[in-house]
Amino acid sequence: MNEFRFGPIRFVLDYSQPLYEQVLEQFRHSIAKGEIALGEKMPSVRELAQALKINPNTVLRAYQELERDALTETRRGQGTFITRDANRVAEVRRKLAERAAAEFLHKMKSLGLTKEEILRLLQERGEDDHDG
Amino acid sequence: MTMTADAIIFDRLTKYYGRRRALDEFSVAIPEGSVTAILGPNGAGKSTLMRMIAGMTVPDKGTLTVFGRRPGWELNRMIAYLPDRARWYGGHTVAEALEWGERLLPGFNRERARQLANDFRLDPDMEVEGMSKGQEARLMLALCLARDVPLLVLDEPFSGIDLISREQIVLSLIDTFGERKQTVLISTHEIAETESLFDYAVFIRDGQAVLCGEAEELRTKRGSLRDVYRQLFADEGGRRHE
Repeated sequence: MNEFRFGPIRFVLDYSQPLYEQVLEQFRHSIAKGEIALGEKMPSVRELAQALKINPNTVLRAYQELERDALTETRRGQGTFITRDANRVAEVRRKLAERAAAEFLHKMKSLGLTKEEILRLLQERGEDDHDG
Repeated sequence: MTMTADAIIFDRLTKYYGRRRALDEFSVAIPEGSVTAILGPNGAGKSTLMRMIAGMTVPDKGTLTVFGRRPGWELNRMIAYLPDRARWYGGHTVAEALEWGERLLPGFNRERARQLANDFRLDPDMEVEGMSKGQEARLMLALCLARDVPLLVLDEPFSGIDLISREQIVLSLIDTFGERKQTVLISTHEIAETESLFDYAVFIRDGQAVLCGEAEELRTKRGSLRDVYRQLFADEGGRRHE
């Protein structure tokens, strides 16, 4: 399997899904979760492409998207670094949380649950987690 | 992916070898700057297509344009072509073969060639005539990858090559793609090992293009390129597979 370790992150690619999105999402989540520290240096495009055995263009595309999100910045001659802006990371985390919540609600509604039932379920689960 | 122009346009190409039809109104456009896979069972017409790009086979009907030009010696200066069969010049060592490349092949980068020969574990003093099939294939490939030309055409670059060398070749290809703005065409049966390299894929059967598209789009819609290959060619059974 094509695997790459970057700090605590372990990349594993699934060839039946778009590769670009997997690279992008993996970084986005890891930065949002704080698995990659603020200001940390990213692997070079070549390094990541070689490790994952993917086309460098795929890595470059994902890196460009991270830069558009202002999650990373490229310093000339030095490479690409994770942002030092904690607010920016918090914003992205919130967006990811909103997306996860939307997906969850969509699933619950497709199962025919009402808003009250969903809330009750969340509350019960929350208590379970607290006990456990 | 922003791929604007087409590098190669195959327009209704038909080719017969005797009574056997190798290509049947084959039409496909290959995006410029893409790394494109040509995939299909044996005898589907892949090598015929590649030979036509290099001007070594002429279609009976239809037209082929590469960067707006017709095949021929002028166009060949812009192409590094790895044929499906090796052809050698007696008495050369590996080092002499590289010197030959430097003298005769347009866009040949000597430093890159030496690096590739080293990466592919080819001893410079080894006689070309005594080489194994795998060594020969690696030397041919090094001569192609050392060329900074607009189009790279590789017909079965992994055929007859052991696992470790295949892995090294994949890494060298990744470096090549990262360093240059080349359009690359690769035919291969090693889909599982190589599919992550491709931006674009063309599936061929019986001399016709049965499916083509961007690799990421195919993944979204139908799964991995290997899955797509199975979906398309499962009915071929053992008939023509290796």
